[in-house]
Amino acid sequence: MTNLKKTYLSISIIVIFMFSFSYMLVPLYDIFCEITGLNGKTNQEKIVGINEVNTDRFVTVKFTSTVAGSEPFNFNPMENEMIVEVGKIYTTSYILTNNTNSLKQITASPSVVPGRDAEYFKKIECFCFTQQQINGKETKELPLQFVIDEDLPLNTKTLILSYTMFNTTDQLGAK
Amino acid sequence: MSANIHDIHDQHHHTPSGLMRWITTTNHKDIGSLYLWFSLVMFFIGGFMALIIRAELFEPGLQLVIPGFFNQMTTMHALIMIFGAVMPAFVGLANWQIPIMIGAPDMALPRLNNWSFWILPFAFTMLLSTLFFDSGGPAAGWTLYPPLSLQGGNSMPFVILSIHLLGISSILGAINVIATILNMRAPGMTLMKMPIFIWTWLITAFLLIAAMPVLAGAITMLLTDRFFGTSFFTASGGGDPVMFQHIFWFFGHPEVYILILPAFGIVSTIIPAFSRKKLFGYDSMVYATASIALLSFIVWAHHMFTVGMPLAGEIFFMLTTMLIAVPTGVKVFNWVATMWKGSMTFETPMLFALAFIILFTIGGFSGLMLAMTPADFQYHDTYFVVAHFHYVLVPGAVFAIIAAVYYWLPKWTGKMYSESLGKLHFWLTTVFVNVTFFPMHFVGLAGMPRRIPDYPVQFADFNAIASVGAFGFGLSQILFVYILYNTLKKDVTADDKVWDGAEGLEWTLSSPPPYHSFEKAPRVE
Repeated sequence: MTNLKKTYLSISIIVIFMFSFSYMLVPLYDIFCEITGLNGKTNQEKIVGINEVNTDRFVTVKFTSTVAGSEPFNFNPMENEMIVEVGKIYTTSYILTNNTNSLKQITASPSVVPGRDAEYFKKIECFCFTQQQINGKETKELPLQFVIDEDLPLNTKTLILSYTMFNTTDQLGAK
Repeated sequence: MSANIHDIHDQHHHTPSGLMRWITTTNHKDIGSLYLWFSLVMFFIGGFMALIIRAELFEPGLQLVIPGFFNQMTTMHALIMIFGAVMPAFVGLANWQIPIMIGAPDMALPRLNNWSFWILPFAFTMLLSTLFFDSGGPAAGWTLYPPLSLQGGNSMPFVILSIHLLGISSILGAINVIATILNMRAPGMTLMKMPIFIWTWLITAFLLIAAMPVLAGAITMLLTDRFFGTSFFTASGGGDPVMFQHIFWFFGHPEVYILILPAFGIVSTIIPAFSRKKLFGYDSMVYATASIALLSFIVWAHHMFTVGMPLAGEIFFMLTTMLIAVPTGVKVFNWVATMWKGSMTFETPMLFALAFIILFTIGGFSGLMLAMTPADFQYHDTYFVVAHFHYVLVPGAVFAIIAAVYYWLPKWTGKMYSESLGKLHFWLTTVFVNVTFFPMHFVGLAGMPRRIPDYPVQFADFNAIASVGAFGFGLSQILFVYILYNTLKKDVTADDKVWDGAEGLEWTLSSPPPYHSFEKAPRVE
């Protein structure tokens, strides 16, 4: 009967391992996306203490925006396109208008195309790091400060930064 | 010794009778029968839902049901057929056959066995009850992709809990199968002497314990996303809906082999019996089954070629998927080689097994077409996919189950079914299965999407044909129930060795076999 017990024990371990493995897939997926630049995932942390460098190399950065679902907001980039020097810090912003009469909370997720260059798009100041609150009928300017890393591959001429805005007002009450 | 046997027989008088016998039973044959009857009931419930779908699709326009209910039917039909009909039928066959094929008295864990069956009726009651909710049942497809599944009505937590229960049931069943096969074989039966059906079930059981916990994890994440504020798949919290597809199909692809490997085992048992030859290439059959199982864990993303994977990923998943055709091809060639120059006869189980080989191969070929990434961009989410997986699941898995029932029914009951009714059942089923599913290839290639209640008029003719076929197929299965009833009420007893070409320990037992199958382990040379 000890053989039987050994069998049960080892099978149960496989079951428990595979259940945990499904949760391990979540960080693994993130790491995989970061390494390969899939999904255009940008660095979600602030870059601090960056030094400007002169590279004399210029690329086009385009800005787009999407409002998830059919939420009552206007959300647009201030400038649709900028020509920037690689290695220099630039500032631009997005304009958000709340078309309702009540206080709302939003969050925005960034994504960069082409995905493999996402890691070179570094954000110094970005509204995507925090939940934003906006009063009814208010229009707000959301600033964005970024630098294109000097290691950006030479064949990249254009980068597109896209923000998707989500209404997270229901999390407001939860806090 | 004889006193001992008398004691064992004495105990039988203490087993409860009536309903309590079935609720408290720990006997592998009783539990096997419960599984098989349960699966038959679910096959008809799921089939009824399929007929609602086909009735709506008989002609363009919305006639019978509203689109929301149509979506609930496609979702429920899939969940019930996969988890309620095919999987329990295979577990039922495993329960009946494993002890009598390996020379054991019963399964290794009889009480666990009872429990793993009795979870099922509760799980399906919960799942089916959602259809009576105000917000209706699940309607996001059986794959439960977020964000759609997160936006569904109140059915969602019920569906997830019932899938959890089904997963627990399958895992317990698989533990039992592995423990029985590894520890309770008759002396002399080495692993490479096991009947091929036992081998396929052993490998299936390992797939179950590796894949089902991953499904449990994925749907638990859905549940916490919806109710506990996590953001595994909610983009607003930094999650990614595409990740669900990866985790789901990491379970989902091994799952489709869980649904077909035992069928391979059944066909590999029946073909030699009616060809009166040994199975050609037994060793290669075992290795082919094992390699299909291993490959199934590295091909999952071929279900999601269109989500925007990098080229390297698409090429990898395309090539590994095509690689599966190699061991599967080995199997098909081995079946054909087994029949080569055999003294073949065509009783009902053999007919179903032959139809399996031909029609499953058609389903395999359409699978190869879908495996080609560039072609898949055209076929993705069309009726071509529906045609493909119905060809491998209906004339594949379901035909193998029906063949197994005809093959072993005389052994289980001690009574012979009517051969002429069995053949009639075979021909009706085979004709209608093709009338139903073959036209779906054409509408799929022409671009008709899956899961739609209405469609443009150019698809009308083939859809009408498919609907006629579906009703014919459904009604033919009533004949199957009649054949079962007709067999059970007979009092002519079948021989112990029902089929003259059949080999294996189960044919050395009486028909029906004694309550404790092998009280004394047989010796295998």
